[in-house]
Amino acid sequence: MNGVNPLRTGLAHNRISEPCNIVFFGASGDLAKRMLLPALYNLRLNDVLPTNFGIIGFSRTKRSDDEYRAEVKKAVDAFSRSGEARDPLWTDFANRVSYVSGDFADTQAFQRLKTRLDEHDATLETGGNRLFYLSTPPTVFAKIVQQLDAVGLGPKEAKNGWTRIVIEKPFGTDPQSARELQAAVSKVFDEHAIYRIDHYLGKEPVQDIMALRFANVIFEPIWNRRYIDSVRITAAETLGIEGRGSYYESTGALRDMIQNHVMNLLALVAMEPPVSAHADSIRDEKFKVLSALRPISVDLVDKVTARGQYGPGLIDGKPVVGYREEENVDPNSSTETYAAVKFLIDNWRWAGVPFYVRSGKRLARKNSEIVIRFLQIPHRLFGETGDQIEQNTLIMKIQPEEGLSLRFNAKVPGPKMHIRSVSMDFNYGSGFGVVTAPAYERLISDAMRGDATLFTRWDAVETAWNAIGPILERWHNQAPDDFPNYLAGSQGPLSSDAMLVAEGHAWRKL
Amino acid sequence: MSETLDVFHLQEILAEIWRLKSNVATFNLIVFIDDPTRRAWIHERALRIAEKHPSRLIILDACDASGKVRVCASELYLSVGKLDANAVATLTRELSAPDVPNVLWWSSECLIENDLFGVLIEHCDRVVMDSSGACNDESTLRRLLCFVQPIKPLRDLAWMRLTPWREMIAQFFDDPEMHVDLSSLATLEITSGSTAEALYLAGWLASRLDWTPEDECTFRAADGSRVSLKKIDEGEKRRVVRVALATKDSRYVAQLSDDENVVELSIEGPKSRPRRLVPLKNIDNASLIEQAILTDANDEAFDASLHILRELLP
Repeated sequence: MNGVNPLRTGLAHNRISEPCNIVFFGASGDLAKRMLLPALYNLRLNDVLPTNFGIIGFSRTKRSDDEYRAEVKKAVDAFSRSGEARDPLWTDFANRVSYVSGDFADTQAFQRLKTRLDEHDATLETGGNRLFYLSTPPTVFAKIVQQLDAVGLGPKEAKNGWTRIVIEKPFGTDPQSARELQAAVSKVFDEHAIYRIDHYLGKEPVQDIMALRFANVIFEPIWNRRYIDSVRITAAETLGIEGRGSYYESTGALRDMIQNHVMNLLALVAMEPPVSAHADSIRDEKFKVLSALRPISVDLVDKVTARGQYGPGLIDGKPVVGYREEENVDPNSSTETYAAVKFLIDNWRWAGVPFYVRSGKRLARKNSEIVIRFLQIPHRLFGETGDQIEQNTLIMKIQPEEGLSLRFNAKVPGPKMHIRSVSMDFNYGSGFGVVTAPAYERLISDAMRGDATLFTRWDAVETAWNAIGPILERWHNQAPDDFPNYLAGSQGPLSSDAMLVAEGHAWRKL
Repeated sequence: MSETLDVFHLQEILAEIWRLKSNVATFNLIVFIDDPTRRAWIHERALRIAEKHPSRLIILDACDASGKVRVCASELYLSVGKLDANAVATLTRELSAPDVPNVLWWSSECLIENDLFGVLIEHCDRVVMDSSGACNDESTLRRLLCFVQPIKPLRDLAWMRLTPWREMIAQFFDDPEMHVDLSSLATLEITSGSTAEALYLAGWLASRLDWTPEDECTFRAADGSRVSLKKIDEGEKRRVVRVALATKDSRYVAQLSDDENVVELSIEGPKSRPRRLVPLKNIDNASLIEQAILTDANDEAFDASLHILRELLP
């Protein structure tokens, strides 16, 4: 035998081979309960986790290992896509879970964490590999990193194995704070060990953007200003702020969605073909295209942006309160719950093509999509009087529907040459006959494997902050005088529609 | 052309076909049924697949000798009980949507005994069958092996069911310390409810490890040593229960736990490891069929296993 397992030929090798421990900071938080712990359990159910692994929850709440295990079980039972946790796999999973309580400012607590990690290495044979997952409020990111370093849990002190850190968004609250956070994190972790997570990137349709562009020959030749009229990216939610008033008051739609999720989508749509599928080749191209975004000067902000805040209204026929009536929200708040921006990309491929992006809460419909609208045909041959020959559109549906839709013109059957727009749809679920895994499952397993392709590199984060910096500044200095300016359950503020209409475009109806 | 399908019927079919022309079909799904007890299930499953994946569904029902023809949306239901093989094949060819792949789902155990199988596979780009479908012995598999050349794009559900077991067995030997044992395996013991699965597993291991069949119970390894094969018939039909591989010193066992969706992996001997529980990703028959119909890539591991089985089951 030559060292290669001959039985592996022709088999998918999904299981992560290297043993490791994963530590969740903010282990009692909503994200951990709803997403992260169920995702880990599903990875175990699908035999993706390594043979030897350990999980440690870390948060302020005092509780025993068994109490934490019970909480994890409750979270899995409630939120796992596989239904309730069942023996014997659950017991096997639970035996690898433990808990350390402590304040993030308490160095002793981090010492206890270090001791626990050493115990796991000894008892669970986790080999010194460590993945720290920061699912805490961003205000404590830097503190946690400092504490890890202080007790010798940073990668430089690791005697054996690797040490990586996953950081949830938002990475900073403006260009300056992002740079400060980066300075703090990079003191301890090298860039290749930092995994800035944006769960949108783990969604199958988002990954499919690259497949669509670079695994087909028919799209790339027309993927430029000569054929594309505009690109419109929407990330619309029907949800409000779900009890996160304090967080949202200091964030807003621009920071919460546009700076990260939406900018990542824009980069994937607009970037040049990478030289390889290697993480850094892809991230190089994303950085390049974000660097080509035309800077928006502060005095131009009002012309190329729109902001909004929802008032009371109806969602699914039920009345909901306005943003200013939400818990922990200032009754005179000027925080935007809706943001729309027009970007231009100054390069050969995209010169003159507007990229309109929008994101908002409490809108008429949950819908994330990218709409590529092609140019009008150069010369009209067909169509009876009154027929409207629509511009071709390619719609990449990200959520809740996952798939593609291409709208093109066809002749209506009959003796006359009537032309009508028709749609050709591809749906992920039925197209492949599989249920796509939640983004967090993919991203956690990638971080454990050391594959950073779907994580955001610092240069792209910084560039995205720089792109929206002037908007933040203008909006901060110029309080809106029309908030709330859209009804919950509506299409968003009229100013957003007007921005596009003025340029001969329109949002797709939600 | 036939005693039972008269001109009127054919005209009726053709008229319907013309009407159906506007329906999109990305493949023809031709389903042969000869078991009245499974007819309803197979029909229902075929309809669901055709509904989900745009296709022209042609059901050849050999349980019914009435010669009736039913056309409904993209489905053509032909009662072919009394027709000879060439007539059915011609009819099938005529009724298939042009320029798209033809997929045959052969739900019968009879292969060489039924002339239609040999004729239809000439017309089809992909054949789906289950050699442990209605029987739990090796009879269907033996019939399949009678075809001198491999039936090219063949998907055997009995083989496809083994994917999780193949993954689990492979897992044992990912560790370099265990890897060396692959060249000194002396016994292979497979417990399963159907023989086809056991034989396929043995064939797969033999093809991957360069073992040559000596007789039905023995392989000769590349270094000349012998590997004995023991098949134990136990458990539910179409399910593997236990696979044990042993060298002189070590024993690698994958065995269904009390929870039939979980397998215990254990390594005994000087390289022993703590018992490991692995979820068994059993795929239900319906999903397997769908997967078989939609997968068009060649499966080299299957072809190699089939090649071994030709020698193992003379």
